[in-house]
Amino acid sequence: MLALLLDYTIQNVMIGAALLGIVSGVLGSFAVLRRQSLLGDTLSHAALPGICIGFLVAGTRSLPAILIGALATGALAALVVLALTRMTRLKTDASLGIALSTFFALGVVLLTHIQNQGSAAQGGLESFLFGQAAAILRSDIYIMGGIAFAALLLVTLVWKEFKLVTFDAAFARTLGLPVLALETLLTTMIALAVVVGLQMVGVVLMAAMIIAPAVAARQWTDRLGTMVCLSAIFGMVSGVTGALLSATARGLATGPLIVLAVSVIVIVSLLFAPGRGLVFAAFRDAENRRRLHGHRVLAALYRLAAEHNDPAYRTEQKMLDAYFGTGTSGVLKRLQTLGLVTSTSHHPEPTPHWALTAQGIAQAQTDLMIGDTNR
Amino acid sequence: MTGWIAAFFDSPDAMIMLTGALVGIAASLLGTFLVLRGASMLSDAISHSIVFGIVVVWMLTGQASGPVQLIGAALTGLLTVALTEAIAATQRVKADAAIGLVFPALFSIGVLLINLFARDVHIDEHTVLLGEIGFVWLDTYTIAGYLVPQAVIWMGAMAVLNLAFVTLLFKELKLATFDAALASALGFVPAVLSYALLALLSGTAVAAFDAVGAILFIAFVIVPPSAAYLLTDRLSLMLVLGAAIATLSAVCGYWIAVWLNVSISGMMAVMTGVCFVVALACGPRYGLFAQALRRRARHSDNAARTLTVHLFNHEGTDSAREENVATALRDHLHWSEAKAQRVLARSLADGLVTRSGEALLLTPKGRTAAREVLEPWARPERAVGHSNG
Amino acid sequence: MVPQLENGLHEPGLAVHVEDLTVAYHSKPVLWDIDFDIPPGVMAAIVGPNGAGKSTLIKSILNLVKPTAGHVTIYGRPYKRQRRKVGYVPQRSSVDWDFPTTALDVVTMGLYGQLGWLRRPGAAERARAMAALERVGMEAFADRQISQLSGGQQQRVFIARALVQDADVYFLDEPMAGVDATTERAIVKILHALRDAGKTVIVVHHDLQTVRNYFDWMVILNVRVIAQGPVSEVYTTDNLRRAYGGQIALIDADATLEGAD
Repeated sequence: MLALLLDYTIQNVMIGAALLGIVSGVLGSFAVLRRQSLLGDTLSHAALPGICIGFLVAGTRSLPAILIGALATGALAALVVLALTRMTRLKTDASLGIALSTFFALGVVLLTHIQNQGSAAQGGLESFLFGQAAAILRSDIYIMGGIAFAALLLVTLVWKEFKLVTFDAAFARTLGLPVLALETLLTTMIALAVVVGLQMVGVVLMAAMIIAPAVAARQWTDRLGTMVCLSAIFGMVSGVTGALLSATARGLATGPLIVLAVSVIVIVSLLFAPGRGLVFAAFRDAENRRRLHGHRVLAALYRLAAEHNDPAYRTEQKMLDAYFGTGTSGVLKRLQTLGLVTSTSHHPEPTPHWALTAQGIAQAQTDLMIGDTNR
Repeated sequence: MTGWIAAFFDSPDAMIMLTGALVGIAASLLGTFLVLRGASMLSDAISHSIVFGIVVVWMLTGQASGPVQLIGAALTGLLTVALTEAIAATQRVKADAAIGLVFPALFSIGVLLINLFARDVHIDEHTVLLGEIGFVWLDTYTIAGYLVPQAVIWMGAMAVLNLAFVTLLFKELKLATFDAALASALGFVPAVLSYALLALLSGTAVAAFDAVGAILFIAFVIVPPSAAYLLTDRLSLMLVLGAAIATLSAVCGYWIAVWLNVSISGMMAVMTGVCFVVALACGPRYGLFAQALRRRARHSDNAARTLTVHLFNHEGTDSAREENVATALRDHLHWSEAKAQRVLARSLADGLVTRSGEALLLTPKGRTAAREVLEPWARPERAVGHSNG
Repeated sequence: MVPQLENGLHEPGLAVHVEDLTVAYHSKPVLWDIDFDIPPGVMAAIVGPNGAGKSTLIKSILNLVKPTAGHVTIYGRPYKRQRRKVGYVPQRSSVDWDFPTTALDVVTMGLYGQLGWLRRPGAAERARAMAALERVGMEAFADRQISQLSGGQQQRVFIARALVQDADVYFLDEPMAGVDATTERAIVKILHALRDAGKTVIVVHHDLQTVRNYFDWMVILNVRVIAQGPVSEVYTTDNLRRAYGGQIALIDADATLEGAD
């Protein structure tokens, strides 16, 4: 294992995957909160023609040229989506789909064009489709690191402005913030995240890296700062896990492994995060339902007693069962252990009856009063 | 005649174009309803996750195409949509993010299964994404003595099925798309219709898969109907135009791809984009050019009406001497000198306003115009006094 | 003649001065040639039927919607130069309440404009935000995530965010929509306290019944200004009928008010 970690390629892969996870986690948080999740999908597919153009212009598989190309066509696609939504009667989803599919198609055309040129250097362009961690060089890491550093620095410096624009753009404008510029910047940064992830995850699955870490992180916290940090950590963990698996188990594509890793984190978060997790919520709901039922049974006993003008009025359990349409013995027993009701009999009837205790009357009265003011 | 038909089926050119056109028609018929409903990106989700279904069915049955695959695909498509809806229903995740969580996961599993178990079979990652329409004429069935490509048979079947679906259920689909609440009140069960639509879409995706691949299929689902949507307001016409645009794209795309020696299916999808751009620019009502003309006309119209309303509001008040003069257009309405002159010239020419020395006066026609704006609810004969403070 | 705005003050004695304002949405005008003034230190209601352009009016005063004609001044200067003097409470439905942020954090956002670029809110800002939360009686909920607040509590957080701006003129867009009677009374009390401190409070209001109890100034709007001035003078059956025109249900509401007179 140690030998594995010391391996030069593996080091590159791990650093690259970590960078990818951090950048997409941080920038993806804003995309998800701004309801631009699927824009990430469009931008990443739209990077394909840029990759090819970068290759054609540079004449070789030069990473800077390819990344600049990817950034350019990604940003152009974002612009197309915005323009179509603003200027036509098409809805956002159609605009996203049009940009995604036509840009990608153009990428495919360019890809085959490059392949048909028979250039020896064309090998590896297709690795941008699904990512190929093992192909990452140290020089690539420096470029990715540079982009990641710039993006994170920007987010740190413009943090409160980004936060306000994401939460309430109209209010931000009344404060005099350049909202359009900030929004453009945030969207461009999704394209940046895509660019960083190209070699690792590939254009097809990059959308997941933008959306999934942020969605998972949101379940664990109610603070934006914590969410962004957690999202970066989740992105990093899944990136490194997937990349390591791919580098060691030959023949498994890197992108899908990373996406699976992050999907597992999402599932765990959705189910088990304290507070928002579905399992916790289910427990809480069951508890609430039980308590509510207790309240309602207590209230029913109280009303019956009030109607009969008898605080010690004995109510037949069967009647309560019929009234609530369900068995009430469990609830009544629980109320009894709480000292709110007491089990009695009512001669000559043999069936169980229940009466309120003094404590039960007081409890029912407070419950009913709170219910009134809440209305 | 028979010779002609045989020649047709023997011609790779014709078969490739026919396959492309059938994919386009089958996809755009269904895509029309997705676009109108605002659910276009479901096609993105379905066409990706279908890969999962194809691999699983292949592993279970050993068949890479045919009816089993179509059914498997329909189920995968429904699984995708159901999972997406289930995640969104937890209210922990927004609907758009839910789509983006489900299909990458299913797609990833599909690709990894290919990596692990299906490396030597013809389903590889490359085909999955891009398709290989250039080779559709290689695999054929013999029908009535003719060698017909399998892809043509399956795509033809899906196209006919989809056509039957949208024509037979035309009014139900129309109602469910525009007013789901009313549709369910009338007992049409829009949810069932919607699932049927998505199941058909999944089946079409699988049938189209070998030819155009997962992602280019999305172009055929979304782009032609979107282009048609910019050309017409009628649903029936939108369906026809969408299919026509898809066919045109397939034919043109083929010849251009051959000419440039690039991916045929890729070029077909690019052509849908080109058709869209043409519709976007030149659509008679919703095209950018028509819109710009209309907007200019309306701006000029609105400016003239703004002037009449302004004069009307100050007519007969103390401030009229300051407000109802030409310079007020600049000082009070904050128009540029050029705009003020343009609007005034037009209003004078249209007989809305007359000049009396410095003062601008409303003509009866101008007064009616102002009143129409301010009191749209009032009958013309109901004279209402106006005060302003 | 009107003096040049860029050089000097235009109607500096008025909190808000709106002159010949025409506003269009998608090149279809919704407000036509609006003229009105609001003096300092009043609590003013902007009322009118649905679609009368009430929210659009506030948005165009705050430059969120660009007018096609006319202009607005706040204490004699265009809004752009008076941002610090203005506080804004948008409609509650305008934001995503599931956003990962707390009540205190939302209120702190009101100070972002004054903080300027690069500076982070610190202890002083948090203290001011906390004080604003106390003024609306929400200090106990400072650390709550905002979706865990009731509608009325969310509205109060929004008002606290405007309070912390320490403005002279406050614009509120339907603050009483969808809140319970207790919250409504609490909000009105806060707004009255602001007015009594000399601030100007301008509220888009939908409930004609309460106008006379809550407000001392009103602008009746329907595509244009139907009437404006002190509530005691402007709140007449005739004015309301002209504003609400053929909207029968509202004419009925008006009739019941008339009966109450």
